Amino acid sequence: MKRQVTANGRSGQIEIAGSRVRYAREDGVEIESGYSMLQTGPTEFSILLDGRSYRVNAGEGGQVWVNGSLLTVEVFDPRDLRPGGHGSATQGRQQVTALMPGKVIRVLVAAGDPVEEGQGLIVVEAMKMQNEMKSPKSGRVAEVRARPDATVAAGEVLVVIE
Amino acid sequence: MFKKVLVANRGEIAVRLVRALRELDITSVAIYSDADRGSLAVRLADEAAHVGPTPSSQSYLRIERILEAAKRHGAEAIHPGYGFLSENARFAEACRAEGIVFIGPPPEAIRSLGSKTAARQLAIAAGTPIVPGTGSALSGWEEARSTARKLGYPVLLKASAGGGGKGMRRVDRESELQAALRDAASEAGRAFGDNEVYLEKLVEEPRHIEIQILGDHHGNLIHLGERECSIQRRHQKVIEECPSPLMATHPDLRERMGQAALKVARAAGYANAGTVEFLVDRDANFYFLEVNTRLQVEHPVTELVTGLDLVEWQLRIGAGERLTLRQQDISWRGSAIECRIYAEDPDHDFLPAPGKIARLSEPSGPGVRLDSGIFEGWNVPLDYDPLLAKLAAWGPSRDAAIRRLDRALAEYVLMGVRNNITFFREVLAQPEFRAGKLSTSFLDRFFARRSKPEPGPDAEAAAALALVLAAKKNETTDSLPRAGSGSRWLESGREDLLR
Repeated sequence: MKRQVTANGRSGQIEIAGSRVRYAREDGVEIESGYSMLQTGPTEFSILLDGRSYRVNAGEGGQVWVNGSLLTVEVFDPRDLRPGGHGSATQGRQQVTALMPGKVIRVLVAAGDPVEEGQGLIVVEAMKMQNEMKSPKSGRVAEVRARPDATVAAGEVLVVIE
Repeated sequence: MFKKVLVANRGEIAVRLVRALRELDITSVAIYSDADRGSLAVRLADEAAHVGPTPSSQSYLRIERILEAAKRHGAEAIHPGYGFLSENARFAEACRAEGIVFIGPPPEAIRSLGSKTAARQLAIAAGTPIVPGTGSALSGWEEARSTARKLGYPVLLKASAGGGGKGMRRVDRESELQAALRDAASEAGRAFGDNEVYLEKLVEEPRHIEIQILGDHHGNLIHLGERECSIQRRHQKVIEECPSPLMATHPDLRERMGQAALKVARAAGYANAGTVEFLVDRDANFYFLEVNTRLQVEHPVTELVTGLDLVEWQLRIGAGERLTLRQQDISWRGSAIECRIYAEDPDHDFLPAPGKIARLSEPSGPGVRLDSGIFEGWNVPLDYDPLLAKLAAWGPSRDAAIRRLDRALAEYVLMGVRNNITFFREVLAQPEFRAGKLSTSFLDRFFARRSKPEPGPDAEAAAALALVLAAKKNETTDSLPRAGSGSRWLESGREDLLR
């Protein structure tokens, strides 16, 4: 079985055959060894690579914990590969999203306001910390979706700049 | 001694206090807001009282509700922990008025030390050196500008009622002063209900070293040595240790700082546990900063090195017992270091990261102490401080303590909320940290040169292998009718069928 791998931003390939595994990175680094794997919890695995022990915890969003280090790892079947990536952000309009869940405590701009790059737009507070959301570019405020005192989720669009 | 004590706090410190009470055969009463009904403290305590909705202004800060709960449950005393009402003189007075013991200093001492500006006046009178700055709250922009010009930039704006870095701003030039003043006052107002701020000369690359003090209500007062808390982000401590590495080269510094701390405490009529904070400059000159009139977050490192239980002593002193320890009884054995485990993302400016703890496996073993308020499945609320737990390690030397702490951090699995566990492993590996070259700007410099460690191809292969095989297993499992029983026995039987 062959799978494409992206680990900490680098691509590679993993090949599993019987009790052997081969992992080859695009930068030429390659390992090949015998393996043993045991699932020790809903998201936890114990892996032995030629007798070297790895404790692996698979988290959300490709985050994988291995022996006290965090890696961002994704695996996919090369047959499922779609050409092209995600649609890139549109040139004209840019959305400013909440980096963390929290409460909107101040809205500093209104629709139609001209803004400079780096100018504060909205102040969101969570866990007693205030975070000022800044404009990613100079332009005009197209839309303000955030309301004072509203609770927002991470990733929620607060302001649109054009 | 008391028979029943109410714990007026939440999170890891509530757990710490409930544990101390259990060890002393004192019945514990936890309090909880709506969000904390399922908290560890509520489940470990003997009794629990609901005090209101989730926002702390409607629950953990509601004096009358907490007192009402204490009376209803028959608690003789209240331990406030840290934060919330712990440094609120009105609360201490309200307890006294109801005949309930407030475990902490007398309200008069809280009041005179609680205002940073009043505390500075007290320190001056006691002959303890302070950082140059305004002796009292700023009257406004004009005074701020003229004072800052007199002191010379950079300066530091601080909240009079402050703590934990709230309402604090570094100002490097006059053009930034007005905005900083507004922000600091607004943040102080939101955090403490008091928007007074004052100004200090900024000591460049200082160490933050504090002295633990302990006194009874019979005039006995001693110090338990220092904690160095120079590793900070946003003016908040994240790593604390005892002894300070500075003591190795300045053997008389502990005693000099200890005596300076006791002078301030005596002047304020202090009793119970408290902490006197100092800034220490490059030449090991120390300047009084403030007094925290409560148990500190980082008290475990002092406990590990002195062998004393600070919470037990707080309770004994609160019950009127005499401090039987003399200064010469205190000795410091080995070295202890603590990391504050926060739900925050060190890769994105330490933004808070509330959410559900999807997976938790906690470290243990020789010399490891974990004070935690979380469990697998717990939803970390966004309404409170993001401190999840404190991991501390003790070793016969500083180097041994560092290696033990790193070992424990490497065992610590906490998935589902972003946290700073692996970040601490990076910090502990820094040669400057190992050499004890600490200052409050340590983390800024660390980030400027940070290169994330690469775990290596074996770790990547192990991770990829787990993901591939887990995905394959899920495919097979999903194609079968769901058993849905939740029974491990049935599940394992089902897994056998899949083999």
